[in-house]
Amino acid sequence: MGGWWSRLAAGMVLLSSCGHRERIIVGAKNFTESDLLAEIAAQQIERRTGLPVERKLHLGGTFVCHEAILAGQIDLYVEYTGTAYTAVLKHAPGPSADSITRAVADEYRNRWGLVWLPSFGFNNTFAIAVRQADAQRLGLQAISDLARVAPNWKAGFGYEFLNREDGFPGLARTYGLRFSTPPTAMDLGLTYRALADGKIDVIAGNSTDGQLDALHLVALADDRHYFPPYEAAPVVRGAVLERHPEVQRALAELAGKIDDATMRQLNAQADIEHRDLRAIAHDWLERTLP
Amino acid sequence: MSLVRFYLSNSREVLGLLGQHVLLVLVSTAIAVAIGVPVGILLTRRPSWRRPVLGLANVFQTIPSLALFGFLIPLPLLGGIGARTAIVALVVYALLPIVRNTYTGIVGIDPAIREAGRGMGMTDGELLRLVELPLAASVILAGIRVATVVGVGTATIAAAIGAGGLGVYIFRGVAVVDDRLILAGALPAALLALAADGLLGLVERRFAWR
Repeated sequence: MGGWWSRLAAGMVLLSSCGHRERIIVGAKNFTESDLLAEIAAQQIERRTGLPVERKLHLGGTFVCHEAILAGQIDLYVEYTGTAYTAVLKHAPGPSADSITRAVADEYRNRWGLVWLPSFGFNNTFAIAVRQADAQRLGLQAISDLARVAPNWKAGFGYEFLNREDGFPGLARTYGLRFSTPPTAMDLGLTYRALADGKIDVIAGNSTDGQLDALHLVALADDRHYFPPYEAAPVVRGAVLERHPEVQRALAELAGKIDDATMRQLNAQADIEHRDLRAIAHDWLERTLP
Repeated sequence: MSLVRFYLSNSREVLGLLGQHVLLVLVSTAIAVAIGVPVGILLTRRPSWRRPVLGLANVFQTIPSLALFGFLIPLPLLGGIGARTAIVALVVYALLPIVRNTYTGIVGIDPAIREAGRGMGMTDGELLRLVELPLAASVILAGIRVATVVGVGTATIAAAIGAGGLGVYIFRGVAVVDDRLILAGALPAALLALAADGLLGLVERRFAWR
């Protein structure tokens, strides 16, 4: 009797693991860039390994994806080093880019058996952005140039930037920024419109956002290195990589292939030209990794 | 419990945002009444306008708030960022129930009563003032009540355009994944909606006696 039960149990385990092995589940956070990178990773796995890939895109914020991968509901998603360091691991920002990347990789592996693969090659940091015309007229290139004109300017920021550990309060301290009025708190997406229409003069967008180019905005350089690096890389369940080393090989081909400008263009294709994500990912992969 | 502590240690900010919220709702509802009731009356006089006007108010209702803000930002008089834009959006959302109930309330009056008024030699203005509006008052008030209660909830989006209000806590809470902050905004907004509903319910019942 015992033997029968144990054989049944073993069979079920085998079955369930077979079922699991059949497909790789790719997740994404709820914004274009995350969806797009997940689609690129998914197609790369499909074309290189032949494994079927299920997509669970646009899931929610950082925490939803993190919980999902811990629970094994997804096998991989794209995370940003700075976000993992400050938001998931709850460390105070500060250390250099290299040490953040290393600390994040170590802690993810030790605590959760999650593996950080090499990054795509771009840094999606906060972009302190102004209108190109203003930047040219006033010779603004870096955020420290902004301190000079800020007393006559109005700023509008999203709620996340105003309230994050690595957001506005620290930025204002680091660069001695003082605006004519306290920054207006508003929806992040609307800050781009308000800046382009001249209602405010400076915003904090995302450096890889396609709207920057489209609306003739320019990001100022973080010359005092206030922001931590937000390098995007696939985070994968270690168990999946052990079963399917070919997945790691496939994703490793993507390392360093997308710089800031490329990511901006890809995002613009989705957000401004409204092209299908699958088509964007497919075309880029065919061009870059034939 | 931690919510109570939060309110105690941030009482000035909470009261400020609550005040902004109430003001946003009061001003926007007042403007919506000032526009919506006359428009509703006009529709009873010009039946052919009913479809296009109510259709338009319906369409307004379906525009997502962020999209509406996006359209409003570049406009010279109504737009920009801040309270004015938020109020314009709230007025747009409040119009439908007010216009519709004003129209329905007046049209629903027994034609015999209206005929009796005419028989007594009333002009159109007198008929409206002395017969139709008093009889339709409770239905019109019900529309204003719906608009106000919905407005209390909708006004949380004012925080997306720099106009403050209780939505500030909700947006902030969502941005930094803090449930307590979200509740700190949502709870008083819900209580405010209930209070507005109760208060206007009382007013409505008084008018229903007539």
